[in-house]
Amino acid sequence: MSRYPITWRLLDLVEAVAALLWPRALHRYTGWLLLLPAIALVGLLVAGLAYMGDSSLRLLDTETFEQSEDYTLANYRDLIEKPTYFTVLMRSTGAATLVTVLTLVLAFPYAYSMVRTRSAWRRKLLLVSLFLPFFIGQVVRAYGWLVVLGKTGIVNTLLAHLGLGPFKMIYTYPSLVFGLVQYMLPFAVLLIAPAITAIDEELEAASESLGATGWRTLRHVILPLAKPGLVASAVVVFTLTITDYAMPVVLGGGTNDFIANAVYDAFFRISDNGLGSALALTLVVFASTLVAVMLGLMGAGTLGMRPSGRGR
Amino acid sequence: MDKRKPFDRRDFLLGAAATAATLPFGGLAFAAVPAKPKELIVRVWGGEWKDAIDSGVSKSFTANTGIAIKYDETEDNELQPKLWAAVKQKRRPPVHVNWDTTTNATKSALRNMGEDLSDLTNLPGLLPVAKPLGFDKWPLVNVYSYVYVLAYSQEAFPKAAPDSWNVLLDPKYKGRIALYNDGIGFHPAAQVAGGGKVSDIPKNMKACWDFIAKLKSQKPLLGEDPDFTNWFQKGEIDLACTIVTNARGAKKNGVKVAWTVPKEGAKMDTDALWVPKGMPANELYWAKQYVNHALSKEAQQVWCDGLGLPGVNPGIKPPDDMIGDSAYPTKDEDFKRLLRVPNKVQVENEKEWFGRFKQIMQG
Repeated sequence: MSRYPITWRLLDLVEAVAALLWPRALHRYTGWLLLLPAIALVGLLVAGLAYMGDSSLRLLDTETFEQSEDYTLANYRDLIEKPTYFTVLMRSTGAATLVTVLTLVLAFPYAYSMVRTRSAWRRKLLLVSLFLPFFIGQVVRAYGWLVVLGKTGIVNTLLAHLGLGPFKMIYTYPSLVFGLVQYMLPFAVLLIAPAITAIDEELEAASESLGATGWRTLRHVILPLAKPGLVASAVVVFTLTITDYAMPVVLGGGTNDFIANAVYDAFFRISDNGLGSALALTLVVFASTLVAVMLGLMGAGTLGMRPSGRGR
Repeated sequence: MDKRKPFDRRDFLLGAAATAATLPFGGLAFAAVPAKPKELIVRVWGGEWKDAIDSGVSKSFTANTGIAIKYDETEDNELQPKLWAAVKQKRRPPVHVNWDTTTNATKSALRNMGEDLSDLTNLPGLLPVAKPLGFDKWPLVNVYSYVYVLAYSQEAFPKAAPDSWNVLLDPKYKGRIALYNDGIGFHPAAQVAGGGKVSDIPKNMKACWDFIAKLKSQKPLLGEDPDFTNWFQKGEIDLACTIVTNARGAKKNGVKVAWTVPKEGAKMDTDALWVPKGMPANELYWAKQYVNHALSKEAQQVWCDGLGLPGVNPGIKPPDDMIGDSAYPTKDEDFKRLLRVPNKVQVENEKEWFGRFKQIMQG
């Protein structure tokens, strides 16, 4: 008598049910089946965007606070004619560019040290330091900087002992950029680290044994090979920054708004869904275009689907 | 039984009469009739605002009815679209009673989002300011007035209070002044301080915008209610245009802050309570009773004491620390110094004013 385990019987049952629900003839479409949840999710997003597109073409009647029945481009005309929105859009873009550059400059050596260090405790320390901020939300971290850099904060208190200050270090554009860089750093390191791990250490050793200086090895060997990670982290950091809401609220002092803050204001402060939708769609199109340009110029990095030359 | 059946005036009066006969509680209907829900959800602002309504209104309401009060501290501006969507889609609204600015409540009333409160038994005795302007019925009821004062650090002004809004333009206070981030509460004061007249609002507000443009070069901080207390406490600012309740709250917490109504005057405004449409009849009944209770003299006295604001029920005594304070108007001369802009004008021009303010401050 064969001893056929119960778990095997269960698996047979599952297979039979699966065969019934998804016959062998359909197996070549299994990939699409697995994509269905993602497609549904994206479909929901597209439906939301379509709804916002419709809303963006309707004007708010301030006597009834209802949107107009007729379609109009007035909300988009507002975006073009009112300089506030251009200012805010340019501020968001400028900050996103600056934050991306600064974050990559800081993240690369961190990721490199973390991956290449021979010391287990140093790697652990770097990993813990990297992950610790993930347990603290963005808003809390931003408020933390108020405590550290405020007029009566730790830094100004220390400076006062030296007879200096107090200095205004928060509620300014630089403090906002500083807060964003600190927030984005772990994201960037986590995206760069796998790219560095994938670089064969012997390539670096070979470069140095052929007489290249550390700088030349970095420039001609490590950076080109780490490019996929750098591109991916640039895209992520840029996108997260240009759409950021919380940091300008907490560290911007109210006069350094990003476009996301303008979207919030339109929806929630002045109850103008049409204007809010127009702003949101403009942000989506603008940010997507910039990211597409970045990917076009630098390649898809680790976001690429397959190595070049094997695509169909 | 259809839970969505509207609760009509007849039901209400029957209930009110039955209860008034059985309970010594200002004619409120707290017994018999519609089934009591276990709890009512009331939207509130946090901090001293929530403490005040809790001790003034909710505790006594619960004691008399057994209905617990749960608070929803969603920002008023953020709850508004959720309420509008719920009412439009004929879903149960997320709160039973909305404590709101009169401007926001008026917007909701214009969209016909609120139940008519005309049959509340405490309405007849209230001050005229309780009645929303521009409506035949009562889709909201104003519950107290407040003043946007000039709050100042006593360390920066040890000898005397500043007497004019123009002090905000003094280079000595560059980077050390604060306003609301949407400019609310400041327009009429800026209009007068800039040499204009309140009566010219909204047709000619050049004086207001010129004054605010000058203020921009003073690098003001822009924030919301909790920010002002925090900024005074942390020594970030010396001067702010804020609701007197916030300045009083900061002072109670040990911050060396005081306030004044400058010679140009200060804006007076109101907050309101309203009940969104779409809830079951029994819950609507008790939600209205909550509002009615909030308008009673007993509840108003404790609630408004907590806020340091004059209620709409006549005969409320000011809290000791507000006696003689021009931000707690009781005399004619107090009221003459206060600047009022009709809510209809505020609602219709909010978008335009917000845009102008942002244009100046974000530039």
